[in-house]
Amino acid sequence: MPVYRMMYTKEGPARYISHLDLLRTIERSVRRAGLPIAFTSGFNPHPKIAFAAPLAVGTAGEAEFADLELAGEIPATSVQRDLSGTLPEGLRLLEVRQVEAQTPALMSMVERATYRAEARLNDQLSKDTLDRAIKVFLDQPEILVQRKNKAGERKIYDIRPGIFDMSGRVDNDIIIIETELKTGSRDNIRLEEVMDAFSANSQLPLQGKFVLYRTGLYPAVEKADKTLW
Amino acid sequence: MQESLGDIKHMDVLDQILPLVKKPARYAGGEWNAIHKEWSDVDLRVAFAFPDVYEVGMSYLGLQIFYDIVNRREDALMERVFAPWPDMEERMQEYGLPLFSIESRRPVRDFDVVAFTLQYEMSFTNVLNMLKLTGIPLKSAERDEKYPLVIAGGPCAFNPEPMAAFIDLFAIGEGEELISELLDSVLKGKKSGLSRQEFLLEASRLPGVYVPGLYRVEYRTDGAVAKVVPLQEGTSARVTKRIVRDFDQAPFPSRPLVPSTEVVHDRIMLEVLRGCTRGCRFCQAGMLNRPVREKKPATVLEQAAAQVGSTGYDEISLTSLSTSDYTPVKEVIKSLLDQHAQCGVGVSLPSLRVDNFSVELAKEVQRVRRSSLTFAPEAGTQRLRDVVNKGVTEEDLLETTGSAFREGWRAVKLYFMIGLPTETDEDLDGIARLAKEVLDLGRKARVPRNKLRVTVSVSSFVPKAHTAFQWEPQDVLVELKRKQAYLAGRLKERGLVFNYHDAGISFMEAVFARGDRRLEAVLIHALELGCKFDGWSEYFNFERWLEAFRLAGIDPAWYAGQRYDYEAPLPWDHIYSGVSRRYLVEEHRRALAGVTTADCRTGDCPGCGLCPGLEAKPSIAGGL
Repeated sequence: MPVYRMMYTKEGPARYISHLDLLRTIERSVRRAGLPIAFTSGFNPHPKIAFAAPLAVGTAGEAEFADLELAGEIPATSVQRDLSGTLPEGLRLLEVRQVEAQTPALMSMVERATYRAEARLNDQLSKDTLDRAIKVFLDQPEILVQRKNKAGERKIYDIRPGIFDMSGRVDNDIIIIETELKTGSRDNIRLEEVMDAFSANSQLPLQGKFVLYRTGLYPAVEKADKTLW
Repeated sequence: MQESLGDIKHMDVLDQILPLVKKPARYAGGEWNAIHKEWSDVDLRVAFAFPDVYEVGMSYLGLQIFYDIVNRREDALMERVFAPWPDMEERMQEYGLPLFSIESRRPVRDFDVVAFTLQYEMSFTNVLNMLKLTGIPLKSAERDEKYPLVIAGGPCAFNPEPMAAFIDLFAIGEGEELISELLDSVLKGKKSGLSRQEFLLEASRLPGVYVPGLYRVEYRTDGAVAKVVPLQEGTSARVTKRIVRDFDQAPFPSRPLVPSTEVVHDRIMLEVLRGCTRGCRFCQAGMLNRPVREKKPATVLEQAAAQVGSTGYDEISLTSLSTSDYTPVKEVIKSLLDQHAQCGVGVSLPSLRVDNFSVELAKEVQRVRRSSLTFAPEAGTQRLRDVVNKGVTEEDLLETTGSAFREGWRAVKLYFMIGLPTETDEDLDGIARLAKEVLDLGRKARVPRNKLRVTVSVSSFVPKAHTAFQWEPQDVLVELKRKQAYLAGRLKERGLVFNYHDAGISFMEAVFARGDRRLEAVLIHALELGCKFDGWSEYFNFERWLEAFRLAGIDPAWYAGQRYDYEAPLPWDHIYSGVSRRYLVEEHRRALAGVTTADCRTGDCPGCGLCPGLEAKPSIAGGL
């Protein structure tokens, strides 16, 4: 059955939809659009929707990816048009393409993600100071964070190898950090823990916490220019 | 801080705090079918306030109905607000955020009307806490026209007295028509510059409106209420509940809100029937929602089709107090499945009668029979079931559950009540015996041992206003606890699961269900002591409540344990449900004599007095 790859945003109020609820929300949107959703067979059928990588609740997504399988052949342009009219506020289709049914799962393709973090400053900050703070942060041989495993035990984990790139700028009283992190089912790095570690390390004059955005999802580093299409 | 919060700043603060709280989707809005109107385009802004968490409030059909009715008006808007979970409340206070609406994120105190629904007594503290978070003075007497009008409706408005000090105006009975009349009245008052007092006097002339500030309470020397009387001439001594004359054509939303996070009832809620005349003597809903009115099958099918298209839900729940009583239920289910099953949309029934017809219905609607079936025999012996007028026999229950197991169900839930009038330990033994017999039927039907489950869920009887048991005391707390322990000892067997409600919560519920205006002081102390989410056992704190009563100098046991004489005035006598006192007295007498009363649908009118009193009559739908 035909598979459609969707690139979409998850912004505004939709940034607070949890991963599990997002599945339900998209299923209902597809139903409202009158598109024939495909279901898994078995005792408890569920809709065939697969996401590239879960997004932490509260982090906005500017170019997220998901695959949707339909029970009938429909032009990708129609899918995009019909589904665009039934998504709730903040979920917006940027592009829909039909992909080969045998295409590898999105989740197995994702290796990297780019992010942006913004916070308000409560004091002056020069570009030089910011650059220096980032350099000091990245020059650490290891950046240790505490994580809880599934059993609830605390474990120390080094996130430094998963931080591929980081840069910053200041726009009036807003500080903007852009970074590229290891993403996927193995060695996934969460932006939140990076920003917490950076804030603690750099002592910048922040007012409140960083507001987080994921700006893109990418496959392995070698194919740097390729997105998930 | 409240006044200085512009929209943009507000958004900003929310993006700071929402990532820090549990389930932030509760506060984020943006749901499908949410309506965002420009404030400057309308004359009247109404906040619908549900005094519990989002997932509970969004499961209330009344919210969807009022949201639709008010937002259809060109001159008004309705937005929603729910009780923030305590973690969110803490953050809001930390950041100086007042209680805000979901849609426009504006402070609730900027609205013209704040409309609470009072679905259960244990949400009263949440009403007060929400008012506190808005910055609006708690007491009606301290609010003038600068503040929103605070109104309330729902079943607890039928004994409004414990909340009388906090609510400007109660809407008694069904609100579909009254809400529009009321908003017209508010608009008129606003345009002619009426003071709050002048407006309330004006509004009190609307049928179904009770303005507590226009009445005073007289007490007897023994402490009981003597009467609630109007302060001035021209105010009605008794307020009669409203009913919708044409239920079939009553407003019903075609585009209900679809939450983006899972809520308690996460499906289409299609009301097919209102009212229930089976006449269970403990049941308040059965008395308050008379007469019985059924929706025409064509209306149900039309409303279902509209909602399936506009929501994307995959389940239609046919809701009512007792859906197996809906005359055309079978044909309607068949038509719904014919029309929608091929798109993967199923039908469900929330409440089932204890009979084979119900199992047949359940069989039809459930393609995958893994969920459990729920039945409510209510009492363990025939004697006590006759006392409460629950027309269920032991044979009914055994036959029904037996056929359910044979049809492939593996789990059955049984609801019982303890502490019912005249109950003895024999009746408790009956509960244990029934549960075991049902379990035995499951074994005989060869349900796999590790899958077979009979859940016995036991609540404690709470005497409610406007019922045949309104004169009865509640069992004392130690006795309720003893009965729970007694049952726990007798329901220990593989496959049996025993659940019971916190008896302390039922005790407080009984106090407020038959309470009067003096409880105002208790509620204020309870709020100050931090009582909230009292319907949630994780937040209910019995000691804290006792402290609130101590501080107010009031004995809660006096209220819960009160046995009223038939002649004694009741604190809710000025609210008229349409059911006559004479009928309730007669029903109470019959209960004590163990005599049952037939459903008026059988054609044998038991004389509840509603039809002549309210000039109404039952309306039963025909076939398709």
